[in-house]
This record gives sequence, C-alpha cells and structure tokens, in this order.
Amino acid sequence: MGASLRAVRALVLLAGFYLLGVILLAALVGIDFAVVTKLHGPVAFKIIIVSVVLAVPIVRGLFMLRTPKGEPPAGVTVTEAQEPVLWQTVREVAQQVGTRAPDEIVLIDEVNAAVAEDARLLGLRPGTRRLYLGLPLMTGLDEMQLRAVLAHEMGHYANFDTRLTPLIARGRAQLIRTIGHFHERADNKVAKERARQEKRDEKRLAKGKDAKGVDTAGQGATYRAMAKIYMAYGNFYMRATHTAGRRQELAADLASVRVAGRDSAASALRELNALDSAHGFYMSSYATLGVGAGLLPRPGEVFGGLRKLLDARAEELDGLRRDLSTEPVSPYDSHPPLAERVARIEALPDDGRAGQSARPALELLTDAGAALAALEQAVLTPEALGLRRMDWEDLVHESMTRYVGQGAQEIRETFAAEGAGPGLPALLDAVDADPAVRWRIADRFPKSEEAAAATGRTAREFARPVVRRALNQLVTVELTGRGQARWQLSWSDSAALHYPSEGFEEQLRLALDAVVADVPDTEPLRKLVLAP
Amino acid sequence: MIGLYVLGAMLLFGAFKILRGIYYIRKAKRLEAEVAALEGRTVASDSRTAAAKAEQKAREAAAVVALGFVAEEDLDTDNALPVPPERKAALDAVRAGDWEAGAAYVEACGTDWEERWQRVRALAEVAAEDDAWLLAWRAARPADPSAALVNADTGVLVAWNVRGSARASHTTQEQFRIFHELLAKAQEQAWEAQRLADPADPVPYMVEQSVSLGLGYPHEQYRRLWSQITKRDPKNLSAHTNAMQYWSQKWRGSHERALAFARECAAGAEPGELLSALPLIAYVEQELHESDLEPETFFKEPEVAAAVDAALVDLAAADPDDWRTVRLRHLLAWFLFWQDRDAEAVEQFRHIDGHIGAMPWYYWPKSRYVHARDWAVRVVTPGMEP
Repeated sequence: MGASLRAVRALVLLAGFYLLGVILLAALVGIDFAVVTKLHGPVAFKIIIVSVVLAVPIVRGLFMLRTPKGEPPAGVTVTEAQEPVLWQTVREVAQQVGTRAPDEIVLIDEVNAAVAEDARLLGLRPGTRRLYLGLPLMTGLDEMQLRAVLAHEMGHYANFDTRLTPLIARGRAQLIRTIGHFHERADNKVAKERARQEKRDEKRLAKGKDAKGVDTAGQGATYRAMAKIYMAYGNFYMRATHTAGRRQELAADLASVRVAGRDSAASALRELNALDSAHGFYMSSYATLGVGAGLLPRPGEVFGGLRKLLDARAEELDGLRRDLSTEPVSPYDSHPPLAERVARIEALPDDGRAGQSARPALELLTDAGAALAALEQAVLTPEALGLRRMDWEDLVHESMTRYVGQGAQEIRETFAAEGAGPGLPALLDAVDADPAVRWRIADRFPKSEEAAAATGRTAREFARPVVRRALNQLVTVELTGRGQARWQLSWSDSAALHYPSEGFEEQLRLALDAVVADVPDTEPLRKLVLAP
Repeated sequence: MIGLYVLGAMLLFGAFKILRGIYYIRKAKRLEAEVAALEGRTVASDSRTAAAKAEQKAREAAAVVALGFVAEEDLDTDNALPVPPERKAALDAVRAGDWEAGAAYVEACGTDWEERWQRVRALAEVAAEDDAWLLAWRAARPADPSAALVNADTGVLVAWNVRGSARASHTTQEQFRIFHELLAKAQEQAWEAQRLADPADPVPYMVEQSVSLGLGYPHEQYRRLWSQITKRDPKNLSAHTNAMQYWSQKWRGSHERALAFARECAAGAEPGELLSALPLIAYVEQELHESDLEPETFFKEPEVAAAVDAALVDLAAADPDDWRTVRLRHLLAWFLFWQDRDAEAVEQFRHIDGHIGAMPWYYWPKSRYVHARDWAVRVVTPGMEP
C-alpha cells in the first residue's frame, strides 16, 4: 500500500470515528423525538434527560480534535556548529534513506532514538522534524550500529510514516479517551451507588440490624454499553492500522540494512536488547548508589559510567544479545517482536559488509565527556545537581560505609538493650561473661515464623546466623572506621569489602564462628579486629 | 373541588401504599422466623444422627478395648515397644544434667551395636531439645566416642527440626540454608565420631547414613559408606532399614532399587535374622508413594503374599525375646490385615498393641492403626460385626 493510500485510509478511519458519534447522536435525537410525540409526562422527561446525559461524552469526544501534547523528553539540543560530525552522519543517513534530514537533534538520557514531527493540517503538511538521540544508546553502539538505528527511524520519514502517525495517533487517542469518558462516568455512578448503599448499611448496623451488603451490579450499564460500541470500533481501528504498522517497521529495518549492512543492523537490534537492561541496572545500582549518602559520581559520569559496566559485564550481556524476546512489547505496539525482526534481517543474503570496522558511536561527538556532562545539567533535578561529586572508588566506599553504618546503629542499640554494647569490645566482654546473652540478643531481632516456633537447640540454630550477621556488620564498621578495610567498587560484581590482608577473610570467618559457637571464644576476633 | 378529590385520592393511594408496605414487611419477618426454625430443626436432627453414630462407634471401640486392647487415646505413638525402665532412668538423669548417667548407659551395651544405636538415638532426641548436659559431657571428655556419636546424631536431628516436615514449597529459604549448614556440620561430627570410635563400631557410620539422606549422597559414595557398615556388622537390622530409606524413591533410589536391595539382603540372611522385613518396607513405601496403588489389591499380589509368608517363617525362627521382632510384627499386622488373614493379624496386634511409634503406623494418625486392629479383631471375635 502506497503512502497516499495509507493516508486516505487513516483519514477514513478517523472520519469513521466522527461518523460513529454523529450516528449515535442522531439515534438519541430520533428516540427523543419519538418519545416527545408519543409519550407525555415524567416518563418522557426522564428519557430525554438520559439521552442528554449520554450525549455529553459523545459530543466531548467529537470536539476534542487536538491530541494531547506529550511532554517532549528533556535533553540538550545540539546545533550543527556544535556537533558537525554527528550532523554530517545524520544527513548522510537521511540522504541514503531518501528523506529530508531532521531540523533539530536533541540528545536525551534514554536507550532510545526517536523521530517526531510537528505535522500540520492533520499530518498532510510537513512540520519541524526532531531527532531524539539517547546518549546511553550511543554509549553501547558503534558507528555502523548507530547508523542502522538512525536509518530505521529515518525509514519512517521516507515512508511518510511520521507525518501520518499523528493522524493515526489522533484517531486512536480520541477513541481511547471517549471510551474512558464512558467508563469514568459509569464508575462514578457505581461509586455513588456504593456510597449510598454503604451509608444505608451503616445506618442498619447502627440500629442493630444486619448489613445488607453492597450490590452495585447493573449500575452505570448504559454508559458501559456506549463504551462497548466505541470499543468495538476501536478494535477494528487497531486491527486495520496494526498490520500496516508492522509492515512499516519491517520496511524500516530493511532501510537500516541498506545503510549500515546486514550484520550491523542485526547486531544493533541485539545490542538494544542488552543495553536496555544494562542501562536500567546501571542507573539503579551504580549511578544512584550514593544518592542515599548525598553523593553522585563526577560530572559526565552519571550517564558515562555505563561504558565501564558494558565492558566489565560483556559475557553476561552476551546472553541478552543472544536470547531475544519473542513476545510483542504490548498489543498496541506496532513493533514486531525483536526476535522476529532480527531473524528476518539475519535471513537476508550476506552483503559482504560483515566485519566492517567502526569507531564507537560516542566518537561522533566533538567531546563526548562534555556532552554527557551537559546532559546531566538538562535532565537531573536541581536537588540531584546539588549533591556532592566524587570519584567512583570513593563514592562506593563512602556510600557503602554510610549505609552499613546506618544499619549498624540499630544493631548497636539492640545489643546495648541487652547490656552488650554499644561497641564491639563491650559486646565481646558481655559474651564472655554470659554466653546466653547472644540468644537473648537474637530474640530482639525480627524472627521468621519457624524461628519463633522453635525450641531448645533448634531455636539456637535459628538464632546463631542472626547473631553472626549482626556481629559481622559491627566488625565491618569497626574495620572501615580504622581504615583497615575498604569497600571496593567492581563493575562486574557487587561492591565487596576488601580486607587488610590475604587470608584475613578466612580468619575472620573462623573468628566469627568461634564467637557464636556453643562454647564461645572471643579471643580470635579480638586479636583480629581489635588489636591496636 | 376537583383539586380536593385529587388530593384525597392521592392521600388514599399513599395510605394504601404504606399499609401494603407494612403488610409485606411483617409477612417477610414471619417467613424468616419459620425458615430459622426449620434450619434449627435440621441441625438438631443432624447432630442427633451424628451423636447416634458416635455412640455406636464408641460402643464398638469399647468392645474391642474390653478384649484387652489399648484404647485409642492411650496409644503411645513415640515408641515401637515399651520403653525399658533403665532407658527411662538414663534419659531422666541426663535431663536433670547428669551426663555421666547417659555415658554409662551407652557404654553398658558394649558391642551390641544395634542396642548402641538405639541408645545413642534416644539420648540424641533428648539433646535436640536441651543439650546443656551434652555440652558438659563433651567438655569433660572431648575424646569420648559415645559423646561424639550423640553429638553427631543430635546434629542430624536438629537439622531436621530446622527443616521441618513440610514440603519443599512450604519450607523457607532460611530453613533450607540452615538445614544444609547443619547437615554439613553433622557430617563432620559423624566423621569425628568415626575417628574416635572403636574400629569395630558401625554406629558412627549409621549416623552418617542419616546425613546422607539430607545431603543426597551419590550412589557411589553411599555404597562406600554401606561397605563400612556391613564389614563391621553385616546383619544390623537398623542399618538395613536406614538403607531402605536411602534406596527408596522419595530419597535417592527408586521402587525397583529399593525392592532389589531388600530382596538381596533378605535372601542373604538366615531365618531369624529378621531381614525379611526389608521387602515389606519396600512395599509399604511404594504403596505410600503411588497414589494409584490400592492396598487391598496391591498387598494381595502373589509376590507380596510370598514376602509376608517368608517374613512369618523368619519371625518363627527368631528368638522370641529379641525386641527387634516387634518391628517385623508391626509390618506383618498391617499386611495380614490387608490380606484378609485377620486371625494372624490379630496375633500380631496382640504383640504390638499399645506402642505404635513404628513403621508403618508413624506415617498416619493413630486412627488408622485403630481401624485396622479393630476390624481384624471384630472379624475373628464371634458375635462381633466387622
């Protein structure tokens, strides 16, 4: 189907929505007319009232012509003067795909690239084209893979997809909103009825009678019926535009193969899959690790550290590159499942461009570090920007020390409540004086059901690891406080405590075991940790 | 004037509506009361029927008890036979902190390894609850092989207490983690007991049998452990019944492996050595495990009947004073009951009655035992209805 045909169909489908509204309104007017001429009195009046009430959401749906403007993603707009190579690349891709280059490039903080166009006149006339390009995306791709992604997005331009998209989107938004109005009204009615019946029950209870219970079945049924009509049309609409949407996606994939070569196009899609999870994990476990302690990594590193994670966890990520989802993202997403797209691309004949060397995509930027730092200024909240900046190594040590210290505070208080504290030496003295203090301490920590039900030696076995864990945490605080142990950043694993010497960890394990043993011995731990 | 008529009519109409409303409400209340009364009568009649049935059952149960059998509520589910007075005394003494009494009790059985195993297990059961005396014993005699044995066996019991008896899906990660840690510890304690023990003593290896279940020993490792036991005590009944658990389907074996092991051991034993109990255990485990097996048909199959006959011969050849015969009698009672050999079953029930902490009864509530026993007794007693 050509672009103009698609445009016509989109128009027809949108017109269908308006037509549906008009027909429904006409039906209501017809009923009212019949009622007024055949019936008199309160019944007729009531029917007219109902029809007016039903007409309101239809009319509202008809006149909400403008699609709601989504908040554009925050980012840094870069001019051609600032980023000549990037602009040059984008222009080349646009030319190869056969479309006009975007008017603006906005760098954003997502693993995503997207084009948007403020199309005018229902999408029939072109408007400002904007390319949103995620720096985390560029971080994970090489130049050819980035070209593949860009070509895919530009492929939509070439097919006029983006200009039509507002049209399709408007129709879709309108339908969803109208259905929403009916449901909302139905729900309101149910809620009112519920409130009324609950009040009645309360009164009955207050008078010493049984409550009748709340039954709101059948309330708001007319609204729901109207919503159903629209939903039926909506399903039809989705089906009619969905297959076309999927075809367009596959055509756009072919465009990226033409531009970047088969292997780069396929690997870019695989990379996207891995990047998405890697970035999410990076943001929660690394970039924001210190936030609770008021710390952020150095400027440029908040988004830039991702590269280090990608390098360190290459093997883990290979799994994500290999195993692609065969499920569509959502029933309303026009993208076919990733596995299907990659399979189609990889089934194409070899174009001899395998193994082409390419520089990292970030090198297309004049100064990647500066761009990453500028992005922070654009997307982080003022509170986040106000945090202290630190090198990664220090950040991990400082924040872990802080968090463990916070946890240890509660532990100290628990120990102190049994007269075994607040410090480690006082605790060990208390254990020497009365070994049973350990089990009393364990009783003060939260317990599982099974641990609470246990008696005798079994209860002790449940308690032993609890005491040992708490003790270990105090030891950690003690060692980090003395500067003997340090939290070590690892890009491939979780942060780990780095002990003063080889074999220290094993000695510590035995020393902790000795403190919680049936016959306790605190000496090894004193020697190991408390010795000056 | 017309206005007045209309008003009057409306008032009359309103009054009619209100009166009708009141009438209906009253009627509804009357009907509700009737329904409640009827329901009450149904409940009463149901409970009368239930009471009559319960009374009938109680009468029947009392009739069996009158023949000299133990009433359901008096059945001891902890032991397979009456606890010997010296064991009771020893356990009471250690509970009171006198570990030396416990040590002496274990030592007293000398090289009767079966008895030594029983005594160690009895002490371990006490220690799993309260082990202050055991800690004192260990502190006073660090190289005492018996103390090491009790310690290791206690470790296994405590590990299982932590694990609980619920299915894996109802067992928490905390339970599993501690369970495995404790079993690993118990394994080391068992090895320690093996180092300290009299080289002829198989019991430290029998303790390791219990560890092997939870840790899931591979077959090769288990066979090595088994050879350590059999070269010290080739016919030890408890070691064999322990091994039956390992080879059962629910642990590391299968119905076929369990039965093959049982038959091999039984075939290699002399009459009177009681290893004919093993095939019966294999059948009990299989029937328990396979929900589509019906005991009234499965236990009547020729090979099962043959195993029961062999066990009866074995039992007849055994020393009647040997307490281990009771374990075989428990099994025989169950099989004979299902094989409709009620007179023979009653003979076994007479021997075992009162203490049912034994295979197969410990798998079920005691009502199952009572049902089987009472049924067999009623069948063979003239004038009683089964």
